[in-house]
Amino acid sequence: MRKIRPAPLASIVVALFLLTSSLVCLVIQPDPIPLVSFWMGGLFLDLVLISASALTLRQDVSPGGRALWTRGRVLPLAADLSYLLAVILLVFFGLVGPGLELEFLGLSAVFTYAIVLPFLVFLASFLAIKDSINLLYGYSSRGREVLVFSMVRLSAVFTLILLGGIISVILFRGIGAISWEFLTQPHFRLGTEGGISTCIQGTFWLVMGAMLISAPLGIGAAIYLNEYSRHSGLKRVVTIAVGCLNGVPSVVYGLFGLAFLVATFGLSLLAGSIILGLMNLPTIILTSQEALKSVPNSLREGSVALGASRWQTVRKVVIPSALPGVLTGLIIGVARAAGETAPIMWTAVTFSATPVQMYYGIVPDVTQPVNNLCYHLLNLIYFLGAWDVEEKAWGTALVLLALVLSINMVAIFVRNHYRKKISW
Amino acid sequence: MDLSKKRGLIGRQVREWIIESSFFFAAIASILVMVVIFYYLIRESLAAFMEVGVFDLVFGMKWHSAGEIFGMTPIIVGSIMVTLLALLINILVGVPLAVYLSELAGTRSRSILKPAIELLAGVPSIVYGFLGVLILVAYLERSFNMLTGRSILAGSILLGIMFIPALTTICEDALRAVPREFKEGSLALGATQWQTVRHVTLPAASSGIIAAVVLNVGNIIGETMAALLVVGNVARLPSPVFDIFDPSAIFTSVIAGEMGEVPHASLHYHALFAVGFVLLAIVTVLNISADLVRAAIQRRFGGY
Repeated sequence: MRKIRPAPLASIVVALFLLTSSLVCLVIQPDPIPLVSFWMGGLFLDLVLISASALTLRQDVSPGGRALWTRGRVLPLAADLSYLLAVILLVFFGLVGPGLELEFLGLSAVFTYAIVLPFLVFLASFLAIKDSINLLYGYSSRGREVLVFSMVRLSAVFTLILLGGIISVILFRGIGAISWEFLTQPHFRLGTEGGISTCIQGTFWLVMGAMLISAPLGIGAAIYLNEYSRHSGLKRVVTIAVGCLNGVPSVVYGLFGLAFLVATFGLSLLAGSIILGLMNLPTIILTSQEALKSVPNSLREGSVALGASRWQTVRKVVIPSALPGVLTGLIIGVARAAGETAPIMWTAVTFSATPVQMYYGIVPDVTQPVNNLCYHLLNLIYFLGAWDVEEKAWGTALVLLALVLSINMVAIFVRNHYRKKISW
Repeated sequence: MDLSKKRGLIGRQVREWIIESSFFFAAIASILVMVVIFYYLIRESLAAFMEVGVFDLVFGMKWHSAGEIFGMTPIIVGSIMVTLLALLINILVGVPLAVYLSELAGTRSRSILKPAIELLAGVPSIVYGFLGVLILVAYLERSFNMLTGRSILAGSILLGIMFIPALTTICEDALRAVPREFKEGSLALGATQWQTVRHVTLPAASSGIIAAVVLNVGNIIGETMAALLVVGNVARLPSPVFDIFDPSAIFTSVIAGEMGEVPHASLHYHALFAVGFVLLAIVTVLNISADLVRAAIQRRFGGY
């Protein structure tokens, strides 16, 4: 059983407190920083504890082992300790005190006391934790592992906090704006009043149109690539083209639509649908291909052995088996189309409050521009300083986020459900 | 009887042929779309390249739309700074997250994190932009006493965070593809888990990770709405060139910010298409090279 060293352990606890409190101060920025004397005491305590445990560590090493205090260990430790000392001295002598305003190198930012001190403390406590962990494990590789893996775990925590933060901020700020009127009435007075019904309609029809174009083309392409193509050359070229298409920035799709489709169809639902459909094409091809690849060859061979033609095999055997994966891709495509702004900015949308005109109650007039949730939100963001639209903007953001995330959740659910069910 | 059977056979062949060729058309549609996109961008930007001159347009030091002076250097410098800084943030969180998911996470934390990452990837960019304006930009303004919080720094933080899921997903796939035997061999030699990750798993997955990073450069440089709202959209060089607190402009923000107001077929309109063309060319080269990098490293080192 390894001897537990109390001094480094204590200094880790102190430093963790310093780390979290300084991070909180860095984010919230309270005007008089409340914890300065605590921080200084903590840093001083850490300084003492780390030096003490470094001095006692010398006695633990067994004779004949490798030298404990190599230059690569002493120098960083000394540097860290002198940094801690420097922070304490700077604050003690008032060099870093209230009223500090640093401007240097012509940067257009002023570094005030409220940001400099927490930052210095944050860095110092991080260094203290690093050295304490090393000392705790006697500079073994295990210590390094603990250090690195705890930082790796922090990245996971960061991601969860990020998602939770985005959802909860938008939920809390936006829920006040949501009402039946907000969802069912068009906006008026530049979005300061009324609701977003025309945007919801517009988003719906744009997404429908986009899927009408991208689903057959995308699934067809995936089937050809996976089931029919015999030329590996053609397959390679198409794969590269799909990869490139996947990387084409959304704003370039917008330019393309402006130059090509708007010239032909005008600012219209049709042009927007085509652009969104083309933008979705690579997503759907890639996910469908993935789904088709996962169908084992024995199924195809069995079908062909029974005398089925290629198309019969595809239709009766391959597609049903790959359906959950293909469906997941389609749903993700819907979510992506609903959340895109740049491709349709100049091709399909206006900030209009007129509802989509319908023929026979079911077919929308595709030659007219529509309004769209993303575009509406963009306009409200532009109006933020000038008119009182902030509440409406949060509400719109909430509706958009809820829509897109729930569609994504359906996709995740479908995939997980069928992944469990199907086993080859 | 024999004849009808034969006719049925021919009919079946014809049907098969029709179906196959329609699938073939669907497959080459993506090539066609790519070609048509390039064609239209070149066609619309040609006028600007002719009038301003290729060199002046791409490397001119000033972008001043009211004075009809179009030189892309400020935009290119802004794009490079935003992209590099964003990539730094992106890699610092994204790669450790991928390591965590593939090496450390248990089934339960995986079953929480995986969907969380997928949801995060689905958050629309305009929502990121909205939060960026109201939270990030306001925070930077307050804490650094900046004239405007819309800056290179704000843009890179936002873009870096936005594309963490994209990087993590591809990196994790690459890390998972490393055979178990490699890791087990290293662990059997007495290496710690971190030493195994550092000296065995990460090098073996390097081709996939590098490809993911290159792809993500394309993602970041092509992101529009979030960048448009927080980067400031002022197309001039930062006053000391390294001043990340200055507002700047990147390719996408210039196009998205100015295209709404230009008269059709003016020089400004064509110049914006030229910006789009340069952007498209950069991203396409990045995409193809990501593919080639992966293939080349795999061939040479047998990576995964």
